[in-house]
Amino acid sequence: MAGIFDFGPAIVLLPFLSFLIAVGTALSGRDLLPKGGAIPGIAATAGSLVLSVAMAAAVAGGEVYDETIYTWAVGAVPGSDGLELTFGLLIDPLSSMMLVIVTLVALLVHVFSLGYMNDDGETGLPRYYAGLGLFTASMLGFVVADNLLMAFMFFELVGLCSYLLIGFHFREPGPPSAAKKAFLVTRFGDYFFLIGVVAVFATFGTAQFVGTEAAPGFPVLAEQALAGEFTANTFLGLGTEAWFTVVGLLVLGGVIGKSAQFPLHTWLPDAMEGPTPVSALIHAATMVAAGVYLVARMYGFYAVSPTALGVIALVGGFTALFAGTMGVVKRELKQVLAYSTISQYGYMMLALGAGGYVAATFHLLTHAFFKALLFLGAGSVILAMHHNENMWDMGGLKDKMPVTYYSFLAGSLALAGIFPFAGFWSKDEILFETLIHGLDGQPLLLVGYVFGLLAVPVTAFYTFRMVFLTFHGDARTEQAESPESVRWNVKGPLVVLGTLATVAGAVNLAPVRVLTGAHVDFLHAWLDGGFSDLTVHHYAEIDPYSSAYIGGELTTVLLGAAVSLGLALLGLGLAYRLYAVPEPVEHTDKLGSAKDLLYDNYYQDEYQVYLANRVVLPVARAADTFDQGVVDGAVNAVSSVSLFSGSRIRRIQTGVVSNYAALVTLGLTALLVVFGVLGGWLL
Amino acid sequence: MIIEALIGITFLAALVVMLAPDEYAGKLAFALSLLPVVGSLYMWAGFDAGGNALMAGSIAYQTQLDWLTVAGYDLQWFVGVDGISLPLVVLSTVLSSLAIVSAWTPIDTRQSQFYGLMLFMEANLLGVFTALDFFLWFVFWEAVLVPMYFLIGVWGGPRRKYAAIKFFVYTNIASLVMFIGFMALVFNLPVGSFGLPEITQSLQAGELSSFVGLDPATLKLAAFAAMFAGFAVKVPVVPVHTWLPDAHVEAPTPVSVMLAGVLLKMGTYALLRFNFTMLPDVATRPLVATVIAAIAVISVIYGAMLALAQQDLKRIVAYSSVSSMGYVILGLIAYTGLGIGGATFQMVAHGLISGLMFMAVGVIYNVTHTRMVGDMSGMADRMPITVGILVAGAFGYMGLPLMAGFAAEYFIFQGAFASTVIPSAPLFTAASMFGIVIVAGYLLFAMQRTLFGEFSLETDYEVRRAHFHDVAPLAVLLLCTIALGVAPNIFFEMITDAIEPVVAVVGGGA
Repeated sequence: MAGIFDFGPAIVLLPFLSFLIAVGTALSGRDLLPKGGAIPGIAATAGSLVLSVAMAAAVAGGEVYDETIYTWAVGAVPGSDGLELTFGLLIDPLSSMMLVIVTLVALLVHVFSLGYMNDDGETGLPRYYAGLGLFTASMLGFVVADNLLMAFMFFELVGLCSYLLIGFHFREPGPPSAAKKAFLVTRFGDYFFLIGVVAVFATFGTAQFVGTEAAPGFPVLAEQALAGEFTANTFLGLGTEAWFTVVGLLVLGGVIGKSAQFPLHTWLPDAMEGPTPVSALIHAATMVAAGVYLVARMYGFYAVSPTALGVIALVGGFTALFAGTMGVVKRELKQVLAYSTISQYGYMMLALGAGGYVAATFHLLTHAFFKALLFLGAGSVILAMHHNENMWDMGGLKDKMPVTYYSFLAGSLALAGIFPFAGFWSKDEILFETLIHGLDGQPLLLVGYVFGLLAVPVTAFYTFRMVFLTFHGDARTEQAESPESVRWNVKGPLVVLGTLATVAGAVNLAPVRVLTGAHVDFLHAWLDGGFSDLTVHHYAEIDPYSSAYIGGELTTVLLGAAVSLGLALLGLGLAYRLYAVPEPVEHTDKLGSAKDLLYDNYYQDEYQVYLANRVVLPVARAADTFDQGVVDGAVNAVSSVSLFSGSRIRRIQTGVVSNYAALVTLGLTALLVVFGVLGGWLL
Repeated sequence: MIIEALIGITFLAALVVMLAPDEYAGKLAFALSLLPVVGSLYMWAGFDAGGNALMAGSIAYQTQLDWLTVAGYDLQWFVGVDGISLPLVVLSTVLSSLAIVSAWTPIDTRQSQFYGLMLFMEANLLGVFTALDFFLWFVFWEAVLVPMYFLIGVWGGPRRKYAAIKFFVYTNIASLVMFIGFMALVFNLPVGSFGLPEITQSLQAGELSSFVGLDPATLKLAAFAAMFAGFAVKVPVVPVHTWLPDAHVEAPTPVSVMLAGVLLKMGTYALLRFNFTMLPDVATRPLVATVIAAIAVISVIYGAMLALAQQDLKRIVAYSSVSSMGYVILGLIAYTGLGIGGATFQMVAHGLISGLMFMAVGVIYNVTHTRMVGDMSGMADRMPITVGILVAGAFGYMGLPLMAGFAAEYFIFQGAFASTVIPSAPLFTAASMFGIVIVAGYLLFAMQRTLFGEFSLETDYEVRRAHFHDVAPLAVLLLCTIALGVAPNIFFEMITDAIEPVVAVVGGGA
């Protein structure tokens, strides 16, 4: 094995190096580097991008790579010869695609930060770039992880970086609080994930995703165990399949936390307290994708567990609609985008649960581009508006910021799922896969489908409500009247991402293949390569689904596309009617108390805060009172009884423990001397 | 001879520092304390033992001299290390040196006595972790308490007398209980010495005879219970933990560092050496294992809940030690290579991280003269580097991967999950793992309120930056923590090697 894959670790190490440089700069406390240390970050992510593209090219040539590069520890447990806890690199179609996404977005965000952070005169820039560098390194480490434990470790590290970057403006009250919430809520999910990691090791003796012919990875072992060719350890008296479902759901806890799915989604809107480039990179395109990516990474394991798949589909479909409705009433630009992010990851989960492995990955790809674009576009607007994020203070920015407007529009069309923008193709494929698998006697998937379909007009509505309020009509404030101009370092990334959001759908034109028979579903073919147990057709063989159509495949494709496009246009049209006017008013006020419910996020935050402040904290205080009063009280009671009786009986004792201590020391010394003399050892 | 040299030099250093003038005592103590550090690292580099010292393994740097004979028993000068004790020796020397540096700022009276006692304590700790003869071990074990008593009682906070007495009496009574339990075993074994290896092997060969109507099995159970109770106080586990927060709150920073970092490990070390190595047939009884696992889980969760209720930063860290020690107990009772190995690794990892946390809180206290969460906010603005290290240390405490705490806790969880000794092991493991959520809760809340937000402080003192020598020990500890997290095999391989015979006795995975 030689060639390009030997440079794999460098993809992770380059951003890590930029992190070290930035930390060094921060510690020195001086302006050692120009641009506050941005240049090493840009150079490192550019280097990682070049290497990632080279990896992808090698993968396109039919090569794959899975090597252990470092043994962290080896330990013994019953029923195994010793668990090898290792770090390794797995580069295959899925991970190489993700590498390109992460490095590209990271590079663009670094460049954008020049405009957003440096030009805006922020302080603490080395700390900012250190955070970005460490995040990029950790995220890339997660992507290339070849086993579940390593994936977990980097999964936690990106959580740390998210904490540090959300709380970047630590002198203000909001960001530290949001950072804490983000870490705590995702940690709650990671608790289940960690049990899952432990359980996978205990069950299979390995946590490799792929492994070798002789020692296959755990997804393959799970398959073999269900076929009776391998005996997995099961626990708590559960049968093999039931136990696998439990393990799958445990790992899913981490996924739900990180990908901000119901009910652990509450941290993501708060995370918008972080600088906007951070929101684009971490809380839209990459870290939030980690959960979905993890499910795709170990899809072979989920595919053999129908219950787990059903749960994933239902959680995803519900989240897609649930989060979308909250986006409808928000006033702040980034809040709309945050709820839209939650909703879009719900779509990906729906696809994964419905057996749409390609569809989910496809949407992961397109969403990374168009959502990063929308966040960066929002950043450009926020910069122009002097950090006022309220859409009701904007209006009419269309003509003053044309580059931002047209790229933002491309992203919005993609998000709303309008033909022929990228989001249309991927969202359509998700709904199509869910429909055809649901039609074949999977009512759960049909429920998910209905959720997903209902979310389409909602998405289109809130997206274009945002576009019209921000860019159309008359300027409603002085800031919007004369926005600050932005430079190339802001416009450049917008143009790149705007182009991608427009055309990225071309990588998988599945409906066109059905129509014409031409093999234009490139992503499908891409994901069907690599390790034979990790291919699309293998997953299709082992998952519990088969397809059924409404009057033939062609009819179903056209019908599905027409319905979702029609619904999207309906939502868009409604937004146009209501908000594309010179002086729009808040029509959602007509929703009455329903609006309050939506605006207050269905009181999801309230009940979680209630749990923390009104349940956990009082229990802790009660425990403290109990500990001081009863446990320690007993100790003090015993001691006072004995001290009292002691003082009565033996008055020669002073009761001063320092005297006792001195006596003990003296006695001990005397004892030693006596023994020494007796034994003839001293004299 | 290196162990004798190590202990001897440290005793001598204690004496020299005790007689030195106050102005130079701190610097002199630090310089002299580097000698044992170098010595212990040299021991680590040349370590060549294999297996468990108590179970016929080869012992590194061994010295065994007959000292004297009392009532037919040989008392020996018998010292040596194996893969379990060496990491703790290194931890003791490194942490002592750093704790001495961290005392430079806060300790401003009777310095020579303070530093002398610190070194005296270090020497005895080295003795505890290297002694292989029970009598010798017990002398060191008891002698550690004396300097600790004075360190809390003289240089402590307002309630120092109460805390010191409580510490001393509580742990001394515990030692007595343990002593009786152990002697009941020894006097009914056909052994001619107090050598721990001889006693262990005799016990495992089934040579224990009956005693006043108690058959050997019952005698073992009684001895196990007595020793467990004695060591449990030292660890400490719930419900015998209440001396710990009082001692920590009153103790000055460097003393807290030693108390949490090394003294607590005496308890877990002794549990491993005595209860779990000598009497595995008692520990693996389902009822005993269930009770101990339950104690472990309760210590983890209850300790964490208590930490959540505290307002004093030091009390938070103190209670979280109870929680962390619960993990050690869980790992020990798991009786698997990863479980006991992880428990031993956790002794070192927690020593470093809790030391770091106490020191960092101390550095802030030096400046603010308060440790109460409500009294300050926005400290990151004034002390960016200290706070940066404190945040890193806090994440280490929460079990951030690639730091030592995660490695230890992961080994324990993995080892405990598949344990065949604990009934329903996965449930106990999962329950204790919830500690990782609570620890994140109380540390994140405390950090948000004290370190971040707008700077404000209720104090009459002038707020100044920390000295270099205040921050440097923190940085060293942080780097050690990361090094052990990235490469646990610095210690874990030798630990595993020494654990293996212990685990093999109960078939817990070789």
